[in-house]
Amino acid sequence: MRDAIVIGSGISGMVTAVKLAEEGVSVLLVSPFPSERSQSVMAAGGINAVLTDCEPGDSVACHIEDTLKGGCYIAGRDSVTGLCESAEEIIRYLEGIGTVFSVDDDGRPARRAFGGQSYKRTCYCGASTGKQIVTALVMEARRLEASGKIRRGLGKCFHSALIKDGVCYGALFFDEHTGNISAEYADAVVVATGGQNALFGKTTGSTQCDGYTAGKLFTQGVELKNLEFIQFHPTTIETSQKRMLLSEAARGEGGRLFYLDKGKRVYFMEDKYGPGGNLLPRDIVSREIYGAGSEVFLDVSFLKESEIDKRIPEVRELCKKYIGLDIASEPIPVAPSVHFFMGGIAVHNDHETNIRNLFAVGECASMYHGANRLGGNSLLAAIHSGMIAAREIAGRDVVADKPDFSQAEREANESLAEMRNTKSVFPVMYIRDMAAETMNKSMGIIREEASIKEGITDIDYYLSIAEKLSYDNSVLPYFNYSLSGILTLARAVLTCADARKESRGAHFRSDFPDTFDEYAHPTIVSYDNGQYNTRLDKENEYES
Amino acid sequence: MKVKVLRQQSPVSEPYWEVFDADVPGDMSVAGLLDHLNYHDDIVDENGKPTTRIGWECSCLQGICGSCAMVINGIPALACETFVRDLKGSEITIQPLQKFPVIHDLLTDRSVIYKNLEKENIFIGEYKPGSEENGKKAQKEHVHQYEIAKCIKCGLCLEVCPNYVNGQNFFGAMFANDCYLVAARNTDKRREIKELYDEHFGSTCSKSLSCMDVCPMKIPTIASMAKLNRR
Ligand SMILES: Cc1cc2nc3c(=O)[nH]c(=O)nc-3n(C[C@H](O)[C@H](O)[C@H](O)COP(=O)(O)OP(=O)(O)OC[C@H]3O[C@@H](n4cnc5c(N)ncnc54)[C@H](O)[C@@H]3O)c2cc1C
Repeated sequence: MRDAIVIGSGISGMVTAVKLAEEGVSVLLVSPFPSERSQSVMAAGGINAVLTDCEPGDSVACHIEDTLKGGCYIAGRDSVTGLCESAEEIIRYLEGIGTVFSVDDDGRPARRAFGGQSYKRTCYCGASTGKQIVTALVMEARRLEASGKIRRGLGKCFHSALIKDGVCYGALFFDEHTGNISAEYADAVVVATGGQNALFGKTTGSTQCDGYTAGKLFTQGVELKNLEFIQFHPTTIETSQKRMLLSEAARGEGGRLFYLDKGKRVYFMEDKYGPGGNLLPRDIVSREIYGAGSEVFLDVSFLKESEIDKRIPEVRELCKKYIGLDIASEPIPVAPSVHFFMGGIAVHNDHETNIRNLFAVGECASMYHGANRLGGNSLLAAIHSGMIAAREIAGRDVVADKPDFSQAEREANESLAEMRNTKSVFPVMYIRDMAAETMNKSMGIIREEASIKEGITDIDYYLSIAEKLSYDNSVLPYFNYSLSGILTLARAVLTCADARKESRGAHFRSDFPDTFDEYAHPTIVSYDNGQYNTRLDKENEYES
Repeated sequence: MKVKVLRQQSPVSEPYWEVFDADVPGDMSVAGLLDHLNYHDDIVDENGKPTTRIGWECSCLQGICGSCAMVINGIPALACETFVRDLKGSEITIQPLQKFPVIHDLLTDRSVIYKNLEKENIFIGEYKPGSEENGKKAQKEHVHQYEIAKCIKCGLCLEVCPNYVNGQNFFGAMFANDCYLVAARNTDKRREIKELYDEHFGSTCSKSLSCMDVCPMKIPTIASMAKLNRR
């Protein structure tokens, strides 16, 4: 193919753009803000890879098995195999472009233990792995920007895709500089817009990940997958502005969870699951904390102060700065919070959606993590998926004739102008907040039919008024037009949760606490004129 | 408490001050305060007159993305890690960064940061470390590179710098640090980078080092300077 648009410039978007440009495809890399502002910079703990000099006993096969098991066996074996097999090459690539990994005495990437994994295989860069990778990738992208192969479209937000008869030819973008919506055409479009945080208000992640793109594409015929699987990170702290994550590294380095019973510490994870209990997969730890019934603490204070400062200095600094607590002398009060979305845009193994020439990569796509993601696997997946999509796109033929979408462009601008002309003090952000409250209530760690149904009723109501809401002048036009897409996605999430009448991984139903074989497949959800239809992918349509 | 915000409706309109009343706890950050002013109720000024919500930018809300850089009580800082309890006096003043064009209220256009790095081709290209260092020294060097790569491109170092005007010729501390990262990670580029460093930083910097005081990532710019000046 000759050209491509990549939407989103976090790690997955940048990798896709760099790899496409290296293959000679000319790339428009779109995001409202620079890569330094993307959620990817927040990834702390690390990236998983079984390297040639791995711990004795470890193997790529073992990484594959851990990933499939962590995901409760609904991720495809082929795609997971591809992911784990490419991990060593990915680490080499990242080293090669200058990422500053933490290294051992021989200069080899150091590795740490991470939840749900049989061996120490998480490579890391201090406690800012994502940031260090972003820095290296930004430089790579800059190299290709300088030679004109990548063009950055900063200040642009996705509006809708240009789709005709099941084929994608480009997208409409709202441009913050001009205030208009305009069309960009390309042979392929890659969506790399990250997770769906805004559905839940303030989560551990970035406010930029709002799920709008997935929601809008859904209404345009793109199928979504596994939306009911939402990962709660077990150890987050409450601050006055958001819930902040304490890296799993704190438990990887020996941190212990406990609650107090009549003043006595109960190490409930170790009591129930043995010495490795604190580091079990996140769904299990989150549920146990939730079920503890009293305030839970994470303790690392028994570690030497010098060890804390060497291995988890950021955790110490974060707690000191935001809650005024020194982890070297006190246990930390923690609780689970929404953190990662295993579900998202349904893609085939080459990361193409059900719409031809429309691809999705990174956290917005659903592929490798099944019902629960292992920490350290999402950075790996963000990079791997970008590489796979780029390879596929580069190898395809140029799209000869592109239909004219100028009418769609005109209509989008007209409807934006119409929106702008209404005035109200009632802000769109209130509806977003109310929807988030609904989602937190209905889609918590433990769910049941009645509250899911209530959630559906609420979101349907918000959807019914979303288009009639008066325009909120105080926020960017994007926030106004994106509301319906975000609410539609919320409705799709609830629909998936309602349909899966079992418990598996991160989806726990108190009315269906058991796991059933008949449900051992991904959920696919599609949209047809206001109807939300779900099915299980029993034929493995998307595993090809 | 009074909160005085320098507002501006568009890139071409005139700035003006607007004062708000807020009663918030001391452990709230300025980011939390802005959110509170905007959304705890309909927004009104100190006289109860309805006004528009305050424009500002955020992403991570925990000091690692650089979005919310602004000037708080005269000091360039990130709103998400500046706490009300640490601000002296009964009034808080909040202004947009002054050395970058204002887009809307506290939102500024910092694209010059990227344009300058792109213009001068500041990228590693390929990892080719030097062979001359080993042992303790290599470890220290590694730590330094790690610290530089944490630069969030927030622009605070440029805002506070007495030498930085608008990024026409002098590119400021973040440029110097990126230069060092490139030179250290790809030794083939040392000479070329040294020239760019001299041209856009070394020859003009008056070493006030105020950049280091405001850097949210605590990047030791002086160490980058020492090493690049030596090379
Ligand atoms: C606190 C925290 C710690 C984490 N730690 C780890 C870890 O240790 N290991 C690990 O593997 N994973 C970790 N993760 C998860 C990991 O960071 C993400 O899964 C990964 O970075 C996602 O990358 P991405 O490129 O898909 O998306 P993002 O980095 O979220 O980028 C999304 C991009 O899309 C853009 N965008 C959004 N909406 C639009 C729109 N409408 N139009 C145009 N552009 C848009 C954004 O501006 C941004 O550029 C962590 C996550 C968090 C929040």
